[in-house]
Amino acid sequence: MSGTGYVLPTFEFRVPPELATAGSADGQDGAPDIAGRVYPLIIVGGGLAGLAAACDCAVRGIPAVVLDEDDTIGVRGASSRGICYAQRTLEILSRLGVFQRVKDKGIQWFVGRTLAGEDEVYSFDLATQATHSYSSQPAFINIQQFYIEWYLVDRILESDTVDLRWKSRVTGIRLLDEGVELSVQTPAGEYRIKGRHVIDASGVASPLRKMLGQNTRAEVGVDRWCISDVRFRQRPKTERWTWIEAPFNQNRAVWQHLMGDDVWRLDYQMDPDCDPEAVSRPEVVAERLREQFGEDVDYELVWVGPYSYRSHVMERFRAGPVFFVGDCAHGMSPFGARGGNSGIQDADNLIWKLQWVQRGWGDESLLDTYDSERREGAEHNVLVTNRTARFLSPRTPVERMIRKAAIDLARHHPFGRTLINTGRMSMASVYTRSDLAQAALTRRLGVDAIGAGTPLQNVPLAEHGDLEQVIRSKAGCLLVVAPDAATAERVDARLVRDEARAAWFVADSQAAPAGWAVLAAASGARPLAEALGLVTGRVLVIRPDLHSAGCVPPQSVGALLACFGPGPGPGKNP
Amino acid sequence: MTRQDEGQGGAAPAAQASVNLEPNLQDPDRFYEQLLAAHDGLSTEQSFELNARLLLLLANQVGDSGVLSRCIALAQTAATPPARESASSAQAPTGS
Repeated sequence: MSGTGYVLPTFEFRVPPELATAGSADGQDGAPDIAGRVYPLIIVGGGLAGLAAACDCAVRGIPAVVLDEDDTIGVRGASSRGICYAQRTLEILSRLGVFQRVKDKGIQWFVGRTLAGEDEVYSFDLATQATHSYSSQPAFINIQQFYIEWYLVDRILESDTVDLRWKSRVTGIRLLDEGVELSVQTPAGEYRIKGRHVIDASGVASPLRKMLGQNTRAEVGVDRWCISDVRFRQRPKTERWTWIEAPFNQNRAVWQHLMGDDVWRLDYQMDPDCDPEAVSRPEVVAERLREQFGEDVDYELVWVGPYSYRSHVMERFRAGPVFFVGDCAHGMSPFGARGGNSGIQDADNLIWKLQWVQRGWGDESLLDTYDSERREGAEHNVLVTNRTARFLSPRTPVERMIRKAAIDLARHHPFGRTLINTGRMSMASVYTRSDLAQAALTRRLGVDAIGAGTPLQNVPLAEHGDLEQVIRSKAGCLLVVAPDAATAERVDARLVRDEARAAWFVADSQAAPAGWAVLAAASGARPLAEALGLVTGRVLVIRPDLHSAGCVPPQSVGALLACFGPGPGPGKNP
Repeated sequence: MTRQDEGQGGAAPAAQASVNLEPNLQDPDRFYEQLLAAHDGLSTEQSFELNARLLLLLANQVGDSGVLSRCIALAQTAATPPARESASSAQAPTGS
């Protein structure tokens, strides 16, 4: 790894209360602990997934401890890092309160060109294409991963419910009758800490996963890539160029796109048998850049790193009180921006469920849906990225021939472009297998839970900002949305009065029955009935992760809420 | 997106045939994956034979003589890149 790099912040290690109360910093008598203290949640790992989980805790007011082994964010070792964040991730980041900073620092591009050989196969301009998006957030933003981590840390530091502990390495884990005990090594000594739940966000080489004997099914890719992040003296056009076969890179693939701070990411597909050290030496990088941009290319090398990828998915994303999120639980090739994005979506899926269980609103079965839902999402991502990887690395001359046919046809005809697979952009997952998906809910309710498990978009609203802001202000509640006042009136009024786990809305209406509020689309936006896919005579229930819990008849709402857990019951108000 | 298929076909029935060149595959990525998987483990000759059989099966699905003639002509011309107003050069971003 070389390059001028970035200046990243460091965060101060503070002696944790467990060691302070022991009265000594040298940890004599092994590892003291504060007897009896059980933290509701401990998050291991301060990368994208762990920090998103921690930030969600901060926003929701959930007490949590984060243990991170170093004292900074950003690049560690020769691994590549994400630069493209898709709409769903941006929606989550807006709820977490960091979207504006991401938008200000990041880059949005509109023109993309796909090339093979000396010329273009096709190009597109997103600015002129009709979008089918209802979201407050754009389709994607390019930005260095460490900026998102940085903004999340800043946001977490504003809260007093989340305790960020730097330079704290987990060296052991023990499952208790209820909860988990972790051994933690710090500059001030070692200590033990107990948590009711633990989130393992410690990355692809997770030590906890191994300690717990959890299996992950891995498939090693043969493809090798080398990233060169550079700053050019002459500011280039903000377009994304993708070569399937680049003449200046031995007819291998090359990506070229812009992120924050005027830094371009150039990602070169390498000979599978290359020496990773050799291809990332500055003089070799310089040679590649001259091949690509000409002899007089003038640039500053910001960061270089070779990488290869393996795809893996853990057999289970939950082991009792321990939940696995992000790269620890799943890994895939980087095409279509599905790595970091899915880690953030893991956190978004899990934290509200943990909050529900902590509040006594939901039970163990709700936590199990984290495994079924996010594992389905991960398996889908692996399938999609494997297809792209195979398109980009034909295994045989015949495969290469078929790809050439697709490229030749794509130069002439729109249909051919659908076969060119240089990556399919990360989308919010559709859940079909979980107990909260359409099939299972329909079985349990005896009526069709239309659309349950499908993602909704962060629709802009007249008074509440947008849906994510409503979710945030309602602190973990389900949102029940009726298409009109008449349908709302058919929901049992006692349910509306007693059910603390839901907030009740009528869409785009002049009036609302008692206990219900009006939810109106932003002026100029399409009506909520369209944007949310409301069904006449049915009410939509929206989960705190902006997935649908189904459109059901008004008389089935109570039964649907019961599928999330027994709830607080009448009279109880946590 | 200009249609590049005009003025190519010589034979009269082919010139009239309408060939759908817009995206029509329900799931292009899945199809492509299945196609490659069908070739797994085959020798080059076996792969060519598989492609030929597949081609004839798909032709039978199309059926229409005019469409098939047109498709043959389009497959022939697609081997050459289309003429562009100004061929975009493959060098960026400096100087652009």
